[in-house]
Amino acid sequence: MNARETAWRLFSSELNGATYEIKAATEKAPSYIVTRLGAMVNRVLMAGVLTEKESVGSQDEPMWRGRVQDLAGGSFFINVGGRYQPEAAIAMDSLEPPAFVAVVGKVRSYTTDDGRVFVSVRPERIIKITEEVRAQWALDAAKSTWGRMLAMRKAAALGDGATEEALAKAGMPQREAQGIATALAQYGPPASAPHLKSIQTALRMVLPDDNIDLGLPEDMPDSPDEIVIEGKSDSEHKSEIEDIVLALLDELDTDGKGAPRDELERRAEAEGISSMELEEVSNALMDKGQVYEPNLRHLKRI
Amino acid sequence: MNKEELTPHFEELKRELAGKVTDEQLWKELNTYLNEYRVSIDATKSGIKRKYGADPTIPFVSAESASKKVAELTGSEMRVDITAKVSFVRRKTITTSQGAKNVVEGTLGDETGTAPFTIWGGEDMELEAGKTYVFRNAYTKKWNEKIQVNIGSRGAVEKAESEVSIPEGVAGGPAEVKIGDLREGSGEVTVTGRLISLESRKVIARGEEKVVRSGTIADSTGKIQFSAWSDFGLKDGEAYKIKGAGIRVWKGILQLNLGDRCEVSRVADSFGEIDLSAPKKTVAEIMASGGGALDVSVSGTVVDLKNGSGLIMRCPRCNRSVLNDSCSEHGPVTPVMDLRMKLTLDDGTGAIGVVVGRADTEKLTGVTFAAAEGLAKARGDRECVGREFAQMMIMKRMTARGNVLCDDFGPQMTAASASLDEIDVHAEAKRLYDEVEAAL
Repeated sequence: MNARETAWRLFSSELNGATYEIKAATEKAPSYIVTRLGAMVNRVLMAGVLTEKESVGSQDEPMWRGRVQDLAGGSFFINVGGRYQPEAAIAMDSLEPPAFVAVVGKVRSYTTDDGRVFVSVRPERIIKITEEVRAQWALDAAKSTWGRMLAMRKAAALGDGATEEALAKAGMPQREAQGIATALAQYGPPASAPHLKSIQTALRMVLPDDNIDLGLPEDMPDSPDEIVIEGKSDSEHKSEIEDIVLALLDELDTDGKGAPRDELERRAEAEGISSMELEEVSNALMDKGQVYEPNLRHLKRI
Repeated sequence: MNKEELTPHFEELKRELAGKVTDEQLWKELNTYLNEYRVSIDATKSGIKRKYGADPTIPFVSAESASKKVAELTGSEMRVDITAKVSFVRRKTITTSQGAKNVVEGTLGDETGTAPFTIWGGEDMELEAGKTYVFRNAYTKKWNEKIQVNIGSRGAVEKAESEVSIPEGVAGGPAEVKIGDLREGSGEVTVTGRLISLESRKVIARGEEKVVRSGTIADSTGKIQFSAWSDFGLKDGEAYKIKGAGIRVWKGILQLNLGDRCEVSRVADSFGEIDLSAPKKTVAEIMASGGGALDVSVSGTVVDLKNGSGLIMRCPRCNRSVLNDSCSEHGPVTPVMDLRMKLTLDDGTGAIGVVVGRADTEKLTGVTFAAAEGLAKARGDRECVGREFAQMMIMKRMTARGNVLCDDFGPQMTAASASLDEIDVHAEAKRLYDEVEAAL
């Protein structure tokens, strides 16, 4: 069954701290980014403030990058491509930062040459919301984070016995058991302080007059890893990808008709280039006149 | 013995000797034993079985049949006497490879258990439900792990001198189950509940017009849809005990099937006030129980609005939504306009598609059908209504109530009602704070 993947409510710090991905085994199967608290995320629902946006596409092929800061202080990084997310691209065009927005989208991870992992969101929907809806979402995310912390605490108490089967037997829903067992195996037991800090920050925003204090050190950073929007002003990185793509085009153009797109996408993915990036780079190369599209399914070097 | 009389024995031997003997050979053997050597049917069967090696451990049976209780039957008796009460009986015409046959079938039972029975060639026999009989020279078979009692041409059914009673819930009888505890694979069950809705419709089954009664039956633990293939004299609002109903699953929804063998009796209604509100379920709970659900309510956040939302066109004859003025069933039509939404509701445990009709769409969006039509006209674009609705509805909290069906695309609800939820963010945030603080 291809039931729609649930949209996880989580703070950006939890999502951005994830480095492990369960890659799709078959073409149609979904991939999941597994967070340290055991969320198996394919899709997210998030709300916050669109703090910046940058157009990286063209007139015909609008593409946007942006940054949405949540109430816990961290930011989601979004990549909007026009071809597959027309609704989101139209919405992005009309939004002016700062604006309260909600985003439903799929998560993508990207690993750099030096092994750092960046997670971004490809929005399916972006809509303008009110401050109140943002608070509602922050509460949902806090509740959901707390739920995962409790489940994780129970599982971690089992030590090495916290296998997917054991957790499922103990009454945990299958997906939750899989996520938690995977997270424990990949990352070990999680530190609770950063997640409590997210909950505390969000609760303080929602309840400004209630002296919310979960007893955490006040000088803890909101978002431990400040992340630069991937590839932004990183021309070196971009030209490196361009070289890889050009080399792949040579290799895959076996019959003079150009490189088949789907094959190119697969090979690029194997090189750590997301389809989003590939899209961008191909566009850039076309603009430079180095490649062209003999038809929609092929790309060819000039 | 003629061929017709031999059929049940032939069928029995064929089943037991599966693959070990051809039909032709088997008929020849039966003919040889019975008509040439004139041995009894039991000796014939025993001889043929042994010859073709059905089961070398079968004992040589004595000619005298033994008396057994229902629970003692093994399914391999060739001559047995059973004194039992008939709890259900009817005539039936069944089609065999030898053509149509009239049989009497029903359910018999004693204090140890119950079993279905069939009397072959017993069309003249007058059996009454509730009376006790002696089933003489019966033979038994096992079918789907259930023992079946057969009376062939050498068998007889006589009135018994004393009465036997079948206590409630004896082995072999359908288990008494609360509606809320019914599951796929529950087998035959006995259910007691109140009819809360009833309708009948005509269907054509195997070229015959039949009236099917369907509706919903409830007890204090839940409710379930049913369909009945006989007129059991059902009336809306009355309470019934239904013995021997089957369970089936349609698109993830459990249904009770009242077959011909079902026993339905009216009982005193002791249910009092039955809670008929829709139970609250999470999407994960619905998926865990098969993906379908009868009359539940689901609360969540709207995360998407699908194509086909807003102003749509419908076929005036079948109400299907149509594109380009052409109905998939009725061809070119002059469609009528309608208003609806196809939402995706996500509660954090999963996502469910919800179709919301005109009235609830107007209520949820505050946009009337007339206003939507006006907007579409003013903009010269019917699609714009759906886009406006997306802006209004995504991120809204709502509760939808209705039946959930499950197909390849996951669970889908047709909302019988839908309303927006009020969230008290402050109160809920305080509750969470208290909970977290207490746990640290």
